[in-house]
Amino acid sequence: MIKPVALLGGRSALYSIIAIAIALALIPLVLGYNMYYVYLAAQVVLVTTMVLAWNIIGGYAGQLDLASSGYMALGGAVSGLLLAFYNVTPWLGMPLGALTAAGLAFLIGYPTFRFGVKEVWYALSTAALVVILQRVFWLIYGSTEIYMPVHRWSWYHLRFSRYEPLYYMLVVILLVTLWLNIRIKNSKLGYYLTAIGEDELAAEALGIDTRRYKLYALLIYASILGFVGGIYVNLTSIVSFRMFDLWLGIVVAVMGIIGGLGSIAGVFMAAVILRTLEEYLRSMFGATIPGIHLLIYGLLLIVVGVLKPEGFAGFLKYFRRRLARGGSGG
Amino acid sequence: MIDPAYATQILINGVLMGLLYSLVALGLALIFGVMDIINFAHGDFVMLGAYLTFLIATYFLIDPTVTIALTVPLFFLLGIAVYKAIIKPVLGAEPLIQIAVTVGLLMFLRNLALAIFHAEPRGVPYTVFSTPITIGPITIPLSRAVAGAVSLAVLYIVHLLLTRTRWGIAVRATADDREAAALMGINVERVYYTTFGLGTALTALAAALIMTFSRADPYLGLLYGLLSWVIVAMGGLGGVVGVLASGLILGIIESFGMSLVSTGARELFLYVTFLVVLWVRPRGLFGRR
Amino acid sequence: MVAVGSAILSVRNVTKRFGGLVAVNRMSMDVRSNEMLGLIGPNGAGKTTLFNCITGVYRPDEGRVFFEGREITGLPPHVVVRRGIARTWQKVRPFKKMTVLDAVTVGALLKIPSVESAKERAREVLEFVGFPKEKFARLGSEITLIEHKLVDLARALATGPKLLLLDEVAAGLRPHEMDTLAKVLLRIRDELGVTMVIVEHVMRFVMNLSERIIVMHEGVKIAEGTPKEVASDPRVIEAYLGTKPV
Repeated sequence: MIKPVALLGGRSALYSIIAIAIALALIPLVLGYNMYYVYLAAQVVLVTTMVLAWNIIGGYAGQLDLASSGYMALGGAVSGLLLAFYNVTPWLGMPLGALTAAGLAFLIGYPTFRFGVKEVWYALSTAALVVILQRVFWLIYGSTEIYMPVHRWSWYHLRFSRYEPLYYMLVVILLVTLWLNIRIKNSKLGYYLTAIGEDELAAEALGIDTRRYKLYALLIYASILGFVGGIYVNLTSIVSFRMFDLWLGIVVAVMGIIGGLGSIAGVFMAAVILRTLEEYLRSMFGATIPGIHLLIYGLLLIVVGVLKPEGFAGFLKYFRRRLARGGSGG
Repeated sequence: MIDPAYATQILINGVLMGLLYSLVALGLALIFGVMDIINFAHGDFVMLGAYLTFLIATYFLIDPTVTIALTVPLFFLLGIAVYKAIIKPVLGAEPLIQIAVTVGLLMFLRNLALAIFHAEPRGVPYTVFSTPITIGPITIPLSRAVAGAVSLAVLYIVHLLLTRTRWGIAVRATADDREAAALMGINVERVYYTTFGLGTALTALAAALIMTFSRADPYLGLLYGLLSWVIVAMGGLGGVVGVLASGLILGIIESFGMSLVSTGARELFLYVTFLVVLWVRPRGLFGRR
Repeated sequence: MVAVGSAILSVRNVTKRFGGLVAVNRMSMDVRSNEMLGLIGPNGAGKTTLFNCITGVYRPDEGRVFFEGREITGLPPHVVVRRGIARTWQKVRPFKKMTVLDAVTVGALLKIPSVESAKERAREVLEFVGFPKEKFARLGSEITLIEHKLVDLARALATGPKLLLLDEVAAGLRPHEMDTLAKVLLRIRDELGVTMVIVEHVMRFVMNLSERIIVMHEGVKIAEGTPKEVASDPRVIEAYLGTKPV
């Protein structure tokens, strides 16, 4: 393994996925099937998926991509609009959304990597992308909100009168993304991406076609987000220009950084903890101080960057060492 | 066809705004050239400066331009403080972390402003530059003319600083080759913090000028930040001249774009331009050395 | 393929300019198969620039480069590596957050698609260069300078090159570390059949190691021959003494 995950090794990885699956499956029960909490849980699972997907391009390949919300919104728009206007099932809409997002990622990513747009400029270009998508959507639909059709319990439309079914679908997608992350990490793709993230020049000198591999990472990342966009739209019931939220894209990257670049366990924890914290802050102070969660994120980001760039992963390593010593020492 | 007088007016407006944009971008370009750091929060320093100008001008009932006596030195010190606390610790870290901390600063500043001032724009109570100048069929607000003129003057002064003073030579040497400069006895640390201080101070100056014709709101940072990035991407590494040229081009194009198309498309246009500029610029000038 | 003793790399009239400065000026040279060639010259002679022109980091403004009979001028770095030219770095470029083993595995993955097998190969190569087994799991940020150099060497070797370009590999090492390195380089040449070009400033190191030396000064070749011939060549002496001390 390149870096120790919370529970190491192939078999342990399988066990941890199963454990997480069970834990997540029980959440609605634990929450008493309360609509508000299940909705929140669904959002937490969604953001965690976004951050895990981001980990591929940001954590491994080291590209600060801020467009995650853009890709998700694009996929969501495709799926949602097809559903709302043409009654096309999201089971078809979601893969189409994934394809659209991947297509856009390729369209923008190819020249971006080809012309060697790196680091800061890459980050800025992805920010520009989200805003451009938002403005284009605005030009077409203005401020109109397009509602998803209401159904009591339709698996065809993926619309329900409760949030649990969508929650479970999100859990499945999360688990798949988690598994994908682990598979990539131990594959040639993962090694190459990590090398690129470490030192692109050195990576090139080892025979790695950095442009191509960055593009692979980008496409995988965009596809996951484009796919999950359909569920996001069905969860919120609306397609509107507000979906293209640059701040969300930034927050996803922030979570990826605070979690510790490339650490699957770290970003997972960061996403869950921070998103839950965010909800708490919003409910307590959101009325008086809009954007307080962003303020805190900003502060956290500075603190992590300056003091502990390894983020949560650094803490995990520390605890693991303590445990190891404690176990052997007795 | 467009009325020539109208076209000239748009052109002049573009030039004046372009000069101001160059002033804002200059700080960013200096910092980037010397330290290889793009301060994401640069635009938000402008916003901070605008609010500070608003507060001082309102409290003392003075023209916003007078506030620079206080805000510019203050921002110079602020720049040094930000450098020491946030930038210096991450100078050796990977680029993503470096970007991350300035993004964190951006998020912090912008939402702080949002929390304190909320979203309504705040304007200064009055300014001496409110009368328009009329030359034949062309009307130019005095405030913008002054903003343009002052920007040009300051750009020239900074140019002189960079080319004629010892400090300036040290800065340029460090920008060229940090290690060689250190070997030649240049105090690189001092170059760093003074550059950051100067870059930040310039935003305070620009903010004061902006306040003579516009109002402060939390989203100023977004606009001026974006403008600065585009300018630096276009020609920021060519020294003051490069920044000036890019700023003028951008200002003129924006002015024509806004008048002929629509104000709503202003940001869309800027972002698309930004992407295209990034692609078209020769590879060699991006990323780390 | 190329017979032993004939030219494995041919540089023909390569020129590279930076603005008004000509860093490499119509430089031509041959590297013979399985030899240990030293490339020396005072600072700014254009040695590293020439390296970069060969490995694809720079595109020559004029001239051509041939490797094993095929032209490689202007090919991107990763393709040049695939063709069989690997390099090490003057300023170490470690993979800080990767373990030593993983770093070398990255190199091995070029020719070995399976991660498991690539890791095995990486282990072999690390042992070959003499990197201590106990430290395979150390991170790139946790090893010493000489260990870095060995890892850098192993990384490059893992890509299975026929030609290895070493950029000031002895810089910053202590005498006994240099000896260790020299022994490894000889083994690479003798046991693996890899040709090597060594750019170096540390005279003792390169003179003792190379069979043949090429001297560059201000972008051109000013001398070529055995270490002894070159050391007594008046043009070489003048180039070193006539310029500012290193």
